[in-house]
Amino acid sequence: MDVTLGLLDQLPSSDGGGGVPSGGSTTMRSILTGSKSKEDNNKNTMVVSTEVTSSYPAVVDDESLDGLELGLGLSIGGGGLKSKTAVTGGWSQYARILTAKDFPTTLVSEPNNSCSSSSSVNIPNSSASGTKRTATDSVSPPNGTSVVGWPPVSKAHRMPNLANQMKSPTENFISKSEQNKSKNRTVGIKDYSDERNGTANKKYRSVKVNMDGTLIGRKVDLNAHTSYEMLAQTLHEMFFSKWPSKEAVKPSRLLDGTSEFVLTYEDKDGDWMLVGDVPWEMFISSVKRLRIMKNSESNELASRCEENSERYRD
Amino acid sequence: MTQSFPEEVLEHVFSFLTSHTDRNAVSLVSKSWYDTERWCRDHVFIGNCYAVNPRVLTRRFKEVKAVELKGKPHFADFNLVPEGWGGCVDPWIVEMGRVYSGLEEIRLKRMEVTDEGLEMVAKGFGKLKVLVLASCDGFSTDGLAAVAANCRNLRVLDLRECEVEELSCHWLSHFPDSFTLLESLNIACLSSEVSFSALERLVSRSPNLKTLKLNRTVPLEKLSTLLQRAPQLVEFGTGAYSAEGLDAYSSLAEAFSGCKKLKSLSGFWDVIPAYLPAVYSVCSQLTSLNLSYATTQSPDLSKIISHCHNLQRLVVLDYIEDTGLETVATSCKDLKELVVFPSDPYVADANVPLTEQGLVSVSQGCTKLHSVLYFCRQMSNSALVSISKNRPNITCFRLCILEPRSPDYLTLEPLDTGFGSIVENCKQLTRLSMSGLLTDRVFEYIGKHAKKLDMLSIAFAGDTDLGLHYILSGCDSLRKLEIRDCPFGDKALLANASKLETMRSLWMSSCFVSFGACKLLGQKMPRLNVEVIDERENLNSIPENVPVEKVYIYRTVCGQRFDMPDFVRIMGKDKADVYNLS
Repeated sequence: MDVTLGLLDQLPSSDGGGGVPSGGSTTMRSILTGSKSKEDNNKNTMVVSTEVTSSYPAVVDDESLDGLELGLGLSIGGGGLKSKTAVTGGWSQYARILTAKDFPTTLVSEPNNSCSSSSSVNIPNSSASGTKRTATDSVSPPNGTSVVGWPPVSKAHRMPNLANQMKSPTENFISKSEQNKSKNRTVGIKDYSDERNGTANKKYRSVKVNMDGTLIGRKVDLNAHTSYEMLAQTLHEMFFSKWPSKEAVKPSRLLDGTSEFVLTYEDKDGDWMLVGDVPWEMFISSVKRLRIMKNSESNELASRCEENSERYRD
Repeated sequence: MTQSFPEEVLEHVFSFLTSHTDRNAVSLVSKSWYDTERWCRDHVFIGNCYAVNPRVLTRRFKEVKAVELKGKPHFADFNLVPEGWGGCVDPWIVEMGRVYSGLEEIRLKRMEVTDEGLEMVAKGFGKLKVLVLASCDGFSTDGLAAVAANCRNLRVLDLRECEVEELSCHWLSHFPDSFTLLESLNIACLSSEVSFSALERLVSRSPNLKTLKLNRTVPLEKLSTLLQRAPQLVEFGTGAYSAEGLDAYSSLAEAFSGCKKLKSLSGFWDVIPAYLPAVYSVCSQLTSLNLSYATTQSPDLSKIISHCHNLQRLVVLDYIEDTGLETVATSCKDLKELVVFPSDPYVADANVPLTEQGLVSVSQGCTKLHSVLYFCRQMSNSALVSISKNRPNITCFRLCILEPRSPDYLTLEPLDTGFGSIVENCKQLTRLSMSGLLTDRVFEYIGKHAKKLDMLSIAFAGDTDLGLHYILSGCDSLRKLEIRDCPFGDKALLANASKLETMRSLWMSSCFVSFGACKLLGQKMPRLNVEVIDERENLNSIPENVPVEKVYIYRTVCGQRFDMPDFVRIMGKDKADVYNLS
């Protein structure tokens, strides 16, 4: 298989006649044979003997820079610099991906602005840092803290002071990320928070279900259900379908408290409630996980539920 | 073609080859060597779980004892890979369970592991000795309970920086009372309490326990009890290192002094400095010290470090300051690896007196230093040049200047010459992460000099596609390249398409790579998966010249994967030229 590396002339927006000779000037075989001898190849079924040609000259220096670009026949709008603008031109209609370059120098001196972007806190010292940054002028980034995933510290080493004095920056960090979830479509900056359940962006909404006496829990997708009956049916299939029918637990019995088991859930506030007391939509928005409890334990829960359910009544 | 060596002899020769790279090289010599090698390889390493699939693994290797799998790209550690991307280990467990009944070791990194998967592991691999889960998520303490209850031969249970749903504190109790084989237990990543009595009983009945890394909730008062039960420990991670009053001090100090084999200490959450001297008796034995959770000031840190004359690995927060690093430079002459994490990464000007000078001091004083991960707020070209001249033996250099695009703070120039000096002088450099203000020039230096470079991480750097081209065309050994927020686009990528097949993977996010280029690349290179990861709506109606949010390109023999969420697309594979070997 002869793969031409000069793929640039085949980009959709090109005029096709770009000056990339397919019979290329330099072979790239050296790269391939080089890699054969140093091994990392787990996939040995891949035959690494393809001869590949390149239209990139082997040596690139300043002088040939222009010639290089022309030789490639950059037909994305034709010619090196133009190609950039062609690309940027097409962006405007759609959500742009903001990069550090997009941030104007003025952003630095407006503390309000940096607070409205994702992640973190602009500490009062910003004036000092502002001074530092104006010196760097044209490439001044935003307050570096407002970029997702930067600085590159893994979760285990983020905010080690969590329990100590650094409470407020932490809280700010989390609340800013909440704010930005709703804004992320237009701004284009994503903040991937650590929440596992209940983010509105997700199309699936699965919660853990544990049953007393069973070691392994299961997961059920709440968004795939529209009513308590449907949910009970699913849970019945998951947990009870293997049981002989003499002690059959009908799906509906999970909900009405007549069977040996009772369905309960933990809500946002960490309280355990009986399933079925509140409207389905309200249940969906507050449930964190489910538990199929043995009836003896649920009596205590029921009496607590009486008190708690008053919260839901207007 | 007749073979001059009997297979048995060849197998015996191969048995001395333990590194997977050597094994891979050997299997490429000839078909008969390939066949011989595959029958006797028992440790398999798969650096990208999507480069192959479970069936390919089990068809080639028949008697595997140890498997190591990696899933998500490295930048997942920094929240750049959306949840649900993939890397689930369950299909692997199912297939391996079918074929490798003798599997003894499973090591997973950045994979999604479910409780069901753990249950399958626990029940399907009766001989399992080692289970290491590094940066994995998706499971709960239920899954751990299943492992504890069923893995009768387990020696090592290591949860490194995992995210575990902690439903119960009693999972440790599921280790049977008759279970006495434990050698290594790392639960440092758990944030909830575990049952201390279960832990104590487990430690008491594990005479071979060498590694014990507790989580934060184990109080200091209980440490001496544990250490007395396990004086043979080699690696120990404390829990929260604080207590009311000093009553626990003397028994703790005594307990530590009984640990004659202790070589590694970690933990130290919520440190109370008054308790630090309790470890002095073991300091001179230590080869590894991790104080990255110790939010204590430089003098206390310096004191303890000054006792550690045999230290080879030090992980610390920037509270250590330049003065503390000078202490390191004078006290720790055997130091090989230095990691300095930022205490306040999200604060612009945190007034911590840790600068480039600290690193320069260590590079001067510690002649064996070869690995550096350093977070700081200022850097200069002259410092980088000094470091490179002091320590040409550096193999891993990762520098993060917290503010993106920070120039040399003395001259306000880009840091091109500094990093250029690093790659030019440190000829054995295999891993590099850069930061600060960098132009295309630094990439020219890297392409020219960094011939042994294996992994490169770039952020907020470069001016044009030429930067990327220098890297792809110059770095002969490059296997992993990860780029974010750089003005690199289609040109360099397409012009170096074949280079990508020699690499494990390329990650580019917030760059200028267009949908059209991704599609073209995917079409022309059937052995590459060009995954566009993009969470915008209406992807199909975005014009082809618009840049993608993220693209992850990796070589594979398996073509498409079929577990992609809706925000991941593999581009250019609509035609039926997909290798489907399952």
